Amino acid sequence: MERDILNTDAPELRQLQQRALIVGFWGLLAGVVGAVWFPDQFFRSWLVGFLFCLGLTLGSLGLLMLQHLSGGQWGLVSRRVWEASARTLPIVALFFVPILFGMPKLFLWARPEAVQGDAVLQAKAPYLNVQFFTLRAVVYFALWMAAAWLLNKWSAGQDRGEIAVTPADSVRFRALSAPGLIVLIMTITFASVDWIMSLDPHWYSTIFGLLTLVGCGLSALALAITVLSRMARTQPLASTLVPRHFHDLGKLMLAFVMLWAYLSFSQFLIIWSGNLPEEIPWYIERIQGAWAPVSLLLVAGHFALPFALLLSRDLKRRPSLLATIAAAVLVMRIVDIIWLVEPNFERHGFPIHWMDLAVPLGLAGVWVFVFVRQLRGRALLPFNDPYFKEAFAHETH
Amino acid sequence: MDTPAPHSSYQTPHPVIEPGHSYDSITEKISAIVLTRRHPIGWFATMAIGFLLVNGLGLSVGYLLFKGIGIWGNNIPVGWAFDIINFVWWIGIGHAGTLISAILLLFKQDWRTSINRFAEAMTLFAVACAAMFPLIHTGRPWLAAYWLLPYPNTMGIWPQFRSPLIWDVFAVTTYFTVSALFWYTGLIPDLATLRDRAKRRWTQMLFGGLALGWRGSARHWQRYETVYLILAGMSTPLVLSVHTVVSFDFSTGILPGWHATIFPPYFVAGAIYAGFAMVLCLAIPLRRMYGLEDFITMRHLENMAKVTLVTGFIVVYGYAMEAFFAFYSANVYESFMLKNRAFGPYGWTYWLLIFCNGIVPQTLWLKRLRTNTTWLFIMALIVSVGMWLERFVIIVTSLHRDFLPSSWDMYYPTRWDISTFLGTIGLFITLMFLFVRVLPMISIFEMRTLLPEAKIKGAEGH
Repeated sequence: MERDILNTDAPELRQLQQRALIVGFWGLLAGVVGAVWFPDQFFRSWLVGFLFCLGLTLGSLGLLMLQHLSGGQWGLVSRRVWEASARTLPIVALFFVPILFGMPKLFLWARPEAVQGDAVLQAKAPYLNVQFFTLRAVVYFALWMAAAWLLNKWSAGQDRGEIAVTPADSVRFRALSAPGLIVLIMTITFASVDWIMSLDPHWYSTIFGLLTLVGCGLSALALAITVLSRMARTQPLASTLVPRHFHDLGKLMLAFVMLWAYLSFSQFLIIWSGNLPEEIPWYIERIQGAWAPVSLLLVAGHFALPFALLLSRDLKRRPSLLATIAAAVLVMRIVDIIWLVEPNFERHGFPIHWMDLAVPLGLAGVWVFVFVRQLRGRALLPFNDPYFKEAFAHETH
Repeated sequence: MDTPAPHSSYQTPHPVIEPGHSYDSITEKISAIVLTRRHPIGWFATMAIGFLLVNGLGLSVGYLLFKGIGIWGNNIPVGWAFDIINFVWWIGIGHAGTLISAILLLFKQDWRTSINRFAEAMTLFAVACAAMFPLIHTGRPWLAAYWLLPYPNTMGIWPQFRSPLIWDVFAVTTYFTVSALFWYTGLIPDLATLRDRAKRRWTQMLFGGLALGWRGSARHWQRYETVYLILAGMSTPLVLSVHTVVSFDFSTGILPGWHATIFPPYFVAGAIYAGFAMVLCLAIPLRRMYGLEDFITMRHLENMAKVTLVTGFIVVYGYAMEAFFAFYSANVYESFMLKNRAFGPYGWTYWLLIFCNGIVPQTLWLKRLRTNTTWLFIMALIVSVGMWLERFVIIVTSLHRDFLPSSWDMYYPTRWDISTFLGTIGLFITLMFLFVRVLPMISIFEMRTLLPEAKIKGAEGH
């Protein structure tokens, strides 16, 4: 069995990797060509793509830490997916670099002439300025990469059997994950302020960090379901992954869908009810005019539809159906990010630019390529984990 | 890989029931508390304190009805003070019961079994204490039905369906109804056990009537399981919805310090936090008084301590967000609100709150303190104080200095405010201790499913 798990040359994965590279290549090519005509739009679309890939990565890192702390089979079967996803952080950091160059195009507060005539922006300048923004980004990535690196290093050591499988071994994962999760929550919160909220530097909402966190978690769960359902079709995982695992992951995805809706609706209701000039324009932009259909699409596609479908027990136990919903959720994650980013910039006519689809698809393609490469580099299940032996001892034979 | 490693610290945590028990010994031990055992001196001492405070409550409410709500300290600009603080505090305490009974059931957490019964009772009594405050704040509670409950709105003025206060009425009454049903349904098999074991005629009649003819047939059990699961499903959203609506009472307004989008999740986490602290406050003395250490084990206390630590972090996250956005917003009123909170005339309450809710629970990182019952009890009391202060800080410091300096004023509670609040604590203690005396505080039949012999027979458990 152990040798089976080590065999990661699944045709499904190879195929996925190949297709991702093709999508990535054409998407980015279209983006680069488009950048010549629409340089402003290029950076906005790039930001959307970056945030989507970042959400997958950070959500994975967060759930990886969470499952180390909570235990449970859902964590054991998804661990390698999330570890591989967390290992893509360097490439995601690379995706961030163009944003540094596009700052004046993206962020009003990064334009000195805009700050001069605006008292609010001047008041925010100690926080929202180019140097501090860059420094914060460096700190965020350094912390994230350090956590991802350590968790992966220890996990690889487990695979090779270098680390004796003792209680002390699993304590180490937890000892990092507990404070790590707190640091991750705080850094994602501030990153969400920096990279999304400050696109409209006058607007603020205290729930926004949590909303971003839940979005990241949802992306990572949908990713795990999509990947695992593909891998469950063939050995080595076909004999290990049973409907119960998908059922558990489906329940978690349902919980995240509900949590996202709960936080989104709370934010909306409170701002709508207060109707204050600092806050309400952000929503007026999105619920009236060209963006109104996109808002409705989010209500239906990001909440109502997956919610209603995921209530079904039968569906959650069927990997292919569950994966279809997970894929739809991933698409809605991109739409949600577009909805967060794009209305901050004025545009006439149809709200979504073709580059908003091409560039994120391109970046996501490159990301998936790197991710699958990482995934194939290691055993697909943490077979040396002490819990794993206990959990699967009776079932795999 | 060749030989199994010592499993002590990661595979077998402390058991949920100490070894050495049989079906019979569990039934005997729990039902004896109600039926035959003499009650410990601690029961009488606590009950005496509770009853004394209840008398204070009767006096305070009596005088309130006689004189009017002018006997309280609230006045413009602080038109809402102890009444709403206590309401939110009590409602929050109830949440742990619902979380334990519903969400932990759905998550198949077997450690909930020994604590769910009295945590659910705690929910009911806490909601009862909470519901008193809006009623007596009207000054004329006999008219409260007219003010609070919806009726054909022919006058077009009241109830105001856009007001979260009216949503509160719905949320709280639903919560109370479902919690009571859930609690009672869970009691039925145990009531039948008590009926069968009671010796005196009138106790047989009493428990027999309450047991609704339960005979424990397979059909009874099948229906029971279905109903219990449905009620758990219904209760789960209530854990979120009730305190969310309570938070809307504040956050849909535009007062700085109230109008914050973080309020719903932050209030819900605070409610669970306060609730688990209260469960610890009750469980630790009760298990000692009645010698229940083999049913409510260190595992339970440690798990509750962990939930307290995690929800405490969400609450502190809320404080951090309020503080950060007060400055990030670059809004004069928002940043003044925070300065006033921390350094204004009530500044000490803010720092005390940070100490109680932010610093003291950090001791729970250490396993040694997490498993020390004395410390857990003290810590739980401190958290309860902290959660009360949180509501005080949110409500009073936000109201007493709002937008216009000309309308600023101070608020001081009167002796009647304090005696009413202490009175509800007395009411809570009295009800809780009466409950312990007349009903089984731990679910007998569910405890029996925790025994090893129950696991071998039933493949799925339940």
